Amino acid sequence: MGVSTLILVVLALAAAGYIAGRMKAKAMERAGARPHSRSGFHAAHVMNWVLLPSLAVIVLIVIARPIIVDNAVRAEFPAELRQDETQSNLIAGMVSQIAGGLTLLDEGEREQVRVGLVPLRPLLAEKGVALGGADIEPFMVRAADTLNGLNSTFSGALWLLTILAAVIGGALGWLQIKPEMRARNRVETVIKGVLIAASAIAILTTVGIVFSMLSESLRFFSMVSPVNFFFGSTWDPRFAAADSTGDEGGQYGLLPLLWGTAYISIIALIIAVPIGLFSAIYMAEYASKRVRGIVKPIIEVLAGIPTIVYGFFALVTVGPIIRDAVAVPLGLGSSGSSVMTAGVVMGIMIIPFISSLSDDIINAVPQSLRDGSYGLGATKSETVRQVVLPAALPGIVGAVLLAASRAIGETMIVVLAAGVATRISLNPFQEMTTITVKIVSQLTGDTEFTSPQVLVAFALGLTLFVVTLGLNIYALHIVRKYREQYD
Amino acid sequence: MADIAAPRRAASLAEVTPSLKKRRAAEARFKAYGIAAISVALFFLVALLSTVFYNGASAFQQTSIRLTVDLKQDVIDPQGRNTADAVMTGNVFRWGGLVDEALLSQLGIDPNDELLAADAQKLISGGARIYLRDYVAENLDQIGTKQEIWFLADGVVDAFMKGSISEETEESRRPIKDRQIAMLRQLEEAGALEKKFNTGLFTFGASSRAETAGVGAAMVGSMYMMLVVLALALPIGVAASIYLEEFAPKNRWTDLIEVNINNLAAVPSIVFGILGLAVFINFFGLPRSAALVGGLVLTLMTLPTIIIATRASLKAVPPSIREAALGVGASKMQAVFHHVLPLAMPGILTGTIIGLAQALGETAPLLMIGMVAFIADIPSGPTDPATALPVQIFMWANMAERAFVERTSAAIIVLLGFLLIMNVTAILLRKRFERRW
Amino acid sequence: MKDGDGALMGDTKVSATNVNVYYGEAHAIKDVSVEIGDKAVTAFIGPSGCGKSTFLRCINRMNDTIDICRVTGSILLEGEDINAKSVDPVQLRARVGMVFQKPNPFPKSIYDNVAYGPKIHGMATNKPDLDAIVESCLRKAALWDEVKDRLDKPGTGLSGGQQQRLCIARAIATSPEVLLMDEPCSALDPIATARVEELIDELRDSFAIVIVTHSMQQAARVSQKTAFFHLGVMVEYDDTDKIFTNPSDKRTQDYITGRFG
Repeated sequence: MGVSTLILVVLALAAAGYIAGRMKAKAMERAGARPHSRSGFHAAHVMNWVLLPSLAVIVLIVIARPIIVDNAVRAEFPAELRQDETQSNLIAGMVSQIAGGLTLLDEGEREQVRVGLVPLRPLLAEKGVALGGADIEPFMVRAADTLNGLNSTFSGALWLLTILAAVIGGALGWLQIKPEMRARNRVETVIKGVLIAASAIAILTTVGIVFSMLSESLRFFSMVSPVNFFFGSTWDPRFAAADSTGDEGGQYGLLPLLWGTAYISIIALIIAVPIGLFSAIYMAEYASKRVRGIVKPIIEVLAGIPTIVYGFFALVTVGPIIRDAVAVPLGLGSSGSSVMTAGVVMGIMIIPFISSLSDDIINAVPQSLRDGSYGLGATKSETVRQVVLPAALPGIVGAVLLAASRAIGETMIVVLAAGVATRISLNPFQEMTTITVKIVSQLTGDTEFTSPQVLVAFALGLTLFVVTLGLNIYALHIVRKYREQYD
Repeated sequence: MADIAAPRRAASLAEVTPSLKKRRAAEARFKAYGIAAISVALFFLVALLSTVFYNGASAFQQTSIRLTVDLKQDVIDPQGRNTADAVMTGNVFRWGGLVDEALLSQLGIDPNDELLAADAQKLISGGARIYLRDYVAENLDQIGTKQEIWFLADGVVDAFMKGSISEETEESRRPIKDRQIAMLRQLEEAGALEKKFNTGLFTFGASSRAETAGVGAAMVGSMYMMLVVLALALPIGVAASIYLEEFAPKNRWTDLIEVNINNLAAVPSIVFGILGLAVFINFFGLPRSAALVGGLVLTLMTLPTIIIATRASLKAVPPSIREAALGVGASKMQAVFHHVLPLAMPGILTGTIIGLAQALGETAPLLMIGMVAFIADIPSGPTDPATALPVQIFMWANMAERAFVERTSAAIIVLLGFLLIMNVTAILLRKRFERRW
Repeated sequence: MKDGDGALMGDTKVSATNVNVYYGEAHAIKDVSVEIGDKAVTAFIGPSGCGKSTFLRCINRMNDTIDICRVTGSILLEGEDINAKSVDPVQLRARVGMVFQKPNPFPKSIYDNVAYGPKIHGMATNKPDLDAIVESCLRKAALWDEVKDRLDKPGTGLSGGQQQRLCIARAIATSPEVLLMDEPCSALDPIATARVEELIDELRDSFAIVIVTHSMQQAARVSQKTAFFHLGVMVEYDDTDKIFTNPSDKRTQDYITGRFG
C-alpha cells in the first residue's frame, strides 16, 4: 500500500476529526455557552490538528527514507567500490533490481540464494526479471536484503507513526475546544500559513532551477574545464560508450552554439522590430477605435499559436521557399534548414510581443506631450518620431530585450528549422545550431547521467538561464522605471 | 524679432509651400509604413494558417476499401472455442491471409500470379490484419460467416486518391504502379473504394504507418496533463496571489517574490523541462514519460501566468468592498474569501484558461522529461507513459513522407481547435462577467 | 502695468462667428461669436466646465485630435477661414501657438525643446540661425539667464515655473501671430505665476494673446479684454475694466462677486 493510500486514510481521519469537533462545539452551544468562535471553526481546528502532524510525519519519512536506505545499502559495498562514484551508482542500481527480484521469490528460494546454493540470475529470469550488467556478487545480495528489510521497516513505521500522529493530534485538538478558545484566529493562522507556503513555491521553483542545474553543471565542470566550455570553438561531444570513463569524450565548446543562437535571434529581431513597432505606432496613433479593435486581437493570435506550429511552418513552407528562391540561386546554401529560415519564422513569432508591449508603452506617453507638439504645428508623424518615440524609447528598448530573451530561449522552431551542424559563419543560408537545440539533443534518447555528454546539457541550460534572466531583469527594470516616470 | 531670421511663411493659410508639401509626403509615407507593417503581420498569419489547413484538411478523410471477408472458422479458431481470448492469440498472419483472400477474390486475381497478388496486397494497409482481429474479437458470433468490412487503404493509395500523387508522373518515379491504379479503378467502379471520415485520426495512437497513426493517445495524454495542471496550478496560484495581494507586508521578502514571479514568467520553457528532469525524475524518482511529471512541469510553468492574472483581478476589486465586510465584523480572511475572491473569480478563471492554453501548446519541456515516446496505446492513467499533442506533432513533423505531412497538419488543426475553444471560452467569460467599478 | 482702454490695441486678428462645438451628443459650445484684437491680451473666464478651454482649442484646431469632436461656424484668422478644407492644421498651428495648462516640456534637452518648432517648420537651415532663435526666444521668455549654462540638460529637470516659461519659449519660437494660453499658471506657485504674468505682459507687444484662466484676479491683472463664459455660452465680452467694474449681465455680476464658480 503506497503513500497515496495512506494520505487517503489521513484525509478520512481528518474528516472524522472535523465531525467530532463540530459535535462537541454544537453541544457546547446548546449548553448555553457563548463560544468565541462558531462551531465550524472549532471543527476545522480539530481537522488541522489531525492533518498537520500526520502530513509532517509523512513528508519527513518520505524524504529521509531514500537517503538512509541508500547509505545502508552502500555500507555493504566493499571499500574500494565506495571510492568510485560512477561504479557504485551502477551497482546501486543493480542492487535495487536484485531487491525487486528477491521479493518475487519465496522464503526457501531466498535462503538458497543467500547461501549461494542457487545462482540468482537464472532464477530471476524464470520469474521474468532480467538482470543486466556485471556479475552478481554475494555482497550485492546482502545489500539487496538490507534494502528490502529497511524498506519494509520504513513502510511499517510510516503507517504506524502517521496514524499515531493523526490520532494524538486530533485528540489534543478536540480537548482544546472550549468556549473561550479562539478557534477562528487559530484556523486563520493556519490558512495564512498555507497561503504563504503557496507563494513560496515561486521562490522554490527558482531555487530548484538554480540548484538542480548548478549541481549537475559542477559535475560537468569536474570533467571538462570551464575554460574549454566557455571559450572552446569546437563542439564535438562524441558519444563514447557509457563505461569508457578514461576518455574525456569529446570537445564541448560553447562559442559555436552561442553564435548560432545570437545570429538567429538577431535575424528574428531585424524582422520583428520594424514590423512590430510600426504596427504598434499605427494602432496607437492612427487607427480608428474600430480598426484597432479588430486588428490588435488578430495580430495577437500570432502569440497564441504554439511554437511547434511555427516550427512546422518553417520546415514545410518557409525553409523550402528560402532555399529554392534565395539560397540555391545565389549559391549560398542547399539546405532548407538554415539560420535564415529559423530567424524569419522566429521573427514572425515575436512580432506580437513587440507590437503589444510597444502599443501599451506608446499609449502611456502622456497626451500633453502630443498636444504640445501639435500645438506647435507638428504633423502626426513628426510628433511620433520626434516626441512620442523618444519619450517611449526606454520602454520600447525593454520590450525589445524581452523579445530577445524570448528568441534566445525558443526551442521548437530552431530544433525543426535551424539544423544541427555547429559552425561559426556569417552566411545565414547555412545550417547552424543553438544552445536549446543541443540541450534537446543531449538530453533526449537513452540518458546515462554520469557522462559529460549528458551533463553538458545542464551547463548549457544554466548558461541559457543566466543569459535570459539577466536580460529579463534588466528589461523589466527598464519597463518598470519607464512606467513610474509617467504615473 | 529683428534677431530672428525671417521665416519663409506662406501668404495665405491655404497656400501649400514646398516645405509643407515635403512634410505632407513624409506624413503619408510614415502612415504607409504602419499599414505595410500591419499587412505583413497579417499576411504571415494567413500564410501560416493556410499552410496548415491546406496540408491538413485532407487528413480528415481517409480512403477505405470494402472487402467481403470469409471469416473461416478453421482459420480463425480451429478448436471452435469462439472466445475473445482464442481470437486474440495465435498466429497474427492468419488474419492477413483472410484479408488477402478477400481482396484477391474481389479483384478477380489468381492467387498463383504471385507478382500481381503482391501488388494487390500493397493496396491494403498493413494494419488491416490487426483491425480484422479486433473486429472479430468484438463480433464473435460472425465467425463462420461472410461479412462486408471496410478496411483502411494503404497510405500510398490514400495519397493517390487525394491527388497528391499524380497519374501523369512517369510510372517508375511514383510509388504506385499502373496496374495498381487499374485495380483501384476497378474497386471504385464496384463501389468498394471510398473516402470516409477519418475516425482513426482521433482514436489511434502513434504508428509507423501513416494511415493508422492518430492523435488519440496524445489527446488523452494532454488531457491528463491539463487535469494535473488545473488541479495544482489553480489552487496554488490563487493561494499565492491572495497572500501577496491581501496579506503580505510590503517588505524585501515580498519584493523578492514579486520580482521572482515576473522573471519566472519569462524563463525559457526548456529550463522548466530541465528542472523537471532533475527534480521530479532524478530526485523524487517519478516515472519518466508520465503525464503526471509533464503536468507538474507545466504547473510550475503556468503558475506565474495564473498568479499575475489573479493578482490583477484581486487588485481590480475596490477597497470599499473589503471595508464594508470588515465593517460588519468579518475577519480579514472572511472578507477576502467571502467577498473579494468571488468578485475576482471571472478574471481568475480567464487567466487560468489562458495559462492552460499556453501549457497545452508547450512542447520543449516535455521533450526533456522523456515524453517523446512511441505511444501506440491510450494511457490509462497519469503515471502511464504518455505523449502529448504538440509532442506528437513534433515527432510526425520529422517524418519525411507526404502522408505524415498531412497527418501533422491535421494534428495541428486539432491542437489549434482546442486552443481556439479555450480562448473563446476565456473571452466569453470575460465579456459575460466583466464588471466595471 | 495695464493700459486698460484698448487704445493701443491693433486690428482684429481672429474673428469667430456662431461657433458651435459638439462632443459626440453633448453640445459644448453654443453660438459663440468673438473678435480678438492684435497686440493685446484677451482673457476667457468662467466656472470650470463652461467651455472656455474648448473654445480656445478651436482657434488652432487642437480639437481635431479628438475623434468625437465636431466644430461648426466660422473662425477667421486675418480674414481666412481656418476650418476650410484646404487649410492644413499644421500650417495653422505654426501661426497660432499654444501653451498648455500643465507644463509639458518634451523629454529632450532645453535647447531641443525650443528648437523643435523651427526645425519642423524649416525656419532655420543652419546651426547659427537655430542658435539665434533659441537664444532670443529664451530671452523673451525671461529664462535665458537661468538656463544658458545648461541648454543640453533635459527640460524636465527644470522647476514647474521654469518649465512653463520653457513651454512659452517653445511656443513663440515658431514666431506665431496668436498665442493661446490654456490656464498657464494653474499648476504653478504664486511666485512663478507672477513671473509668467509679467512675461505675458511683455509678450503682448508682439502677439495677440488669448488666455484662459479661472482666476479673475489674473484676468484683471493681465488682460485688456475679457469674455465671460457660462454653460457653453459666451455671456459677455467687453473691456476688462468694464467687466470687472460694471458688468451688464447679471450672471457675470454673480460670478465676479463670487456667488458661484
